[in-house]
Amino acid sequence: MKGSRMGARSVTYVAAALWVAGAATQHAQLEPPLALLVSEVAPAAMDRGLRANDPPRAPRTDAVAEPFLRGSLIVRFRPGTSPEAQRALLAQVDGTAERPPSDADFDIIAIAADADPEAAAERLEAQPDVAYAQARYRVYPRLVPNDPLYSRQWNYPAIDMERAWDINPGATPAITVAVLDSGVAFRAGIMRYQTRPFRLAPNGALFPSLGTIDVPFAAAPDLVGPDRFVAPRDFIWDTTTPFDLDGHGTHVAGTIGQLTNNGVGTAGIAFNVRIMPVKVIAGTWDLIFRSPQQGTDDVVARGIRYAVDNGAKVINLSIGRLGPPAPVLQEAIGYAVSRGAFVAVAAGNDFETGNRVERLAEFAPQIDGMVAVGAIGRDRNRAFYSNTGAYLEIVAPGGSTRAGGTSGAILQQTFDFDLVETYLRGPAQYRAPRFDAFTYDFLQGTSMAAPHVAGFAALLMQQGITAPAAVEAAMKRYATDLGPPGRDDEFGHGLINPRASLRGLGLAR
Amino acid sequence: MSTIRATFSGHGPQRHRGTETNVGLLCVSVSLWPVAAAVAACCLVAATPAGAQTPDFSVRGFADVGSTTFAAAESFTAVLGSDRGAVFGGGVEAVLPQRVFISVRASRFRRTGQRIFLLGRERFDLGIPTTVTVTPVELTGGYRFDYGRRFVPYAGGGIGWHGYREASRFASGEENASERFLGYQAVAGTEIRLARWMAAAGEAQWSTVPDALGADPNSVSREFDESNLGGVTLRVKFIIGR
Repeated sequence: MKGSRMGARSVTYVAAALWVAGAATQHAQLEPPLALLVSEVAPAAMDRGLRANDPPRAPRTDAVAEPFLRGSLIVRFRPGTSPEAQRALLAQVDGTAERPPSDADFDIIAIAADADPEAAAERLEAQPDVAYAQARYRVYPRLVPNDPLYSRQWNYPAIDMERAWDINPGATPAITVAVLDSGVAFRAGIMRYQTRPFRLAPNGALFPSLGTIDVPFAAAPDLVGPDRFVAPRDFIWDTTTPFDLDGHGTHVAGTIGQLTNNGVGTAGIAFNVRIMPVKVIAGTWDLIFRSPQQGTDDVVARGIRYAVDNGAKVINLSIGRLGPPAPVLQEAIGYAVSRGAFVAVAAGNDFETGNRVERLAEFAPQIDGMVAVGAIGRDRNRAFYSNTGAYLEIVAPGGSTRAGGTSGAILQQTFDFDLVETYLRGPAQYRAPRFDAFTYDFLQGTSMAAPHVAGFAALLMQQGITAPAAVEAAMKRYATDLGPPGRDDEFGHGLINPRASLRGLGLAR
Repeated sequence: MSTIRATFSGHGPQRHRGTETNVGLLCVSVSLWPVAAAVAACCLVAATPAGAQTPDFSVRGFADVGSTTFAAAESFTAVLGSDRGAVFGGGVEAVLPQRVFISVRASRFRRTGQRIFLLGRERFDLGIPTTVTVTPVELTGGYRFDYGRRFVPYAGGGIGWHGYREASRFASGEENASERFLGYQAVAGTEIRLARWMAAAGEAQWSTVPDALGADPNSVSREFDESNLGGVTLRVKFIIGR
């Protein structure tokens, strides 16, 4: 039963991605997407309890669909390149510059929809006036869906978190942690969207349009508090209301900053910080609602720059992608670190499907202040899905359902997926989603490991280690070595040890 | 014995002036160490083998206050904010025939700083209070250059057992340090009698306590490659006894 349901979910992720592949070209033939906040208030959030008996959800990996968008490119010209020279260069690929995106030092270039964006990027990159050019690769969440109750959160005792909280009880609102993800359930409201018919697979069943629907949202009850959220931004819908239409971002934000010691639900690591929800990846419902952007490299890069420019001291990227390198993201993360922000990136969930290089994480060793985070399970072994490689720097609990079943994953509050993923039940039971009903769910993935490190970084910054490079050094220095002695490709420098890092150095001991 | 008494009493008026001068000089911090050394040297040069003050045998108690500059300067500065601090002590000294003395002294340095993190030479204060206590117990023998002058220079050397205790907030028992290390010291000073049963002295001490620090890889002293708990101490002694 478990296996079959898990299998069905895995197929669905792939199928949804196939549908996504066709979506970009179809956008032009449709009305502009609708996303209208029709009410600032909504019915109170529903707490639908602990989902400990659900079958485990598989970690998300990149879909097998075409991994980049067609019809456009990311290009950065070298400083001093005249507009005329830029136009001449773009003419080589029949490209035209689109309106400059916000929070970006690069341009988005429109090219023919049937042109090969990788070939066009390669041709442009060969020009001396071009710093880099790349296709707009999709970026995916690094999670696994699977739920209150501190006693179910094995992940915190596993890193001696209780004694770490003695030293630093959850940081303070002076530290802002940006969650660049699928959005966060940060506020209530009713949004009006237009839906469209779609198929989850090219020859799959047709899901009918639901017409124009009003969708209720609520703030996650165990996450929201006074002045909790700062500078919310949605780069998928280009708004300041980054509603989570997926559940991934809300779960990730919970591990970073779930309200703690409040007698409700679960705990988070840095439970006093402010959270900046920045939506940079699209969930399946965003795509059904025809969001103007999907989660591509350029969108994520803009989100990173936005976050640091608006005061984030820690950035969590529980997202990633495979494919070719992503210079636009490397520069954006370098910019963030240079402005004093620490960046935690999920190392990827692709180990059993080729262990391909996770492109958002691969340059972590070159940037002091950025850490690529792998995952361990309850048994302190590498989680079955967690990527290995030279770029892996540290590990944290990401959960593994192969070491403890469903409860071997990471428990946090997120949406009731039964009321969100209605498309998984076939066209007959497909209906409008609700984003106002919450459960405590177990998810697994390096997506769940990275926020442990982001929360930990917030504690270190609050404690006084304010430089991103020093945060990274403190994490590595005190990590609990796992696997072969010293750094290795499976566990990096080892399992994070927040207490030891927070204590730092004494004179003789 | 009689000679000693006569010499002593014969210097009554001058002794009083000398006391004022001497106290002013010896309440020095470390920066006046060269001056103190120069004064001690002058005393030695000026000394003449006249009637000695030193009895053939006496037992005296003393208390002292001073300032120690630790050899592990970077480590102490990083954690405690300074490589020097006040030291309070006391002990017993026996003056033996032939102007030889032997003393047992216990002292205590205690200062509270905070734990830190280091990245290269960049220091990050973590705000976790940590208190370092150093308690040397030293056995010193030496010679008094007592040639009947007002000032009695002396010098010596010996062995010490240096207690080191480091306790920080949030530490569990085994994370605090409480150890004792063997060290060696050399002392030189000048004593002046203030009254029949009272004297004062200015003293400089150099001590070495090798391999006491830096054993723990997660210590500032390891980072700075400093292992010696010794240092230089300048102190003023107040002596009760003849």
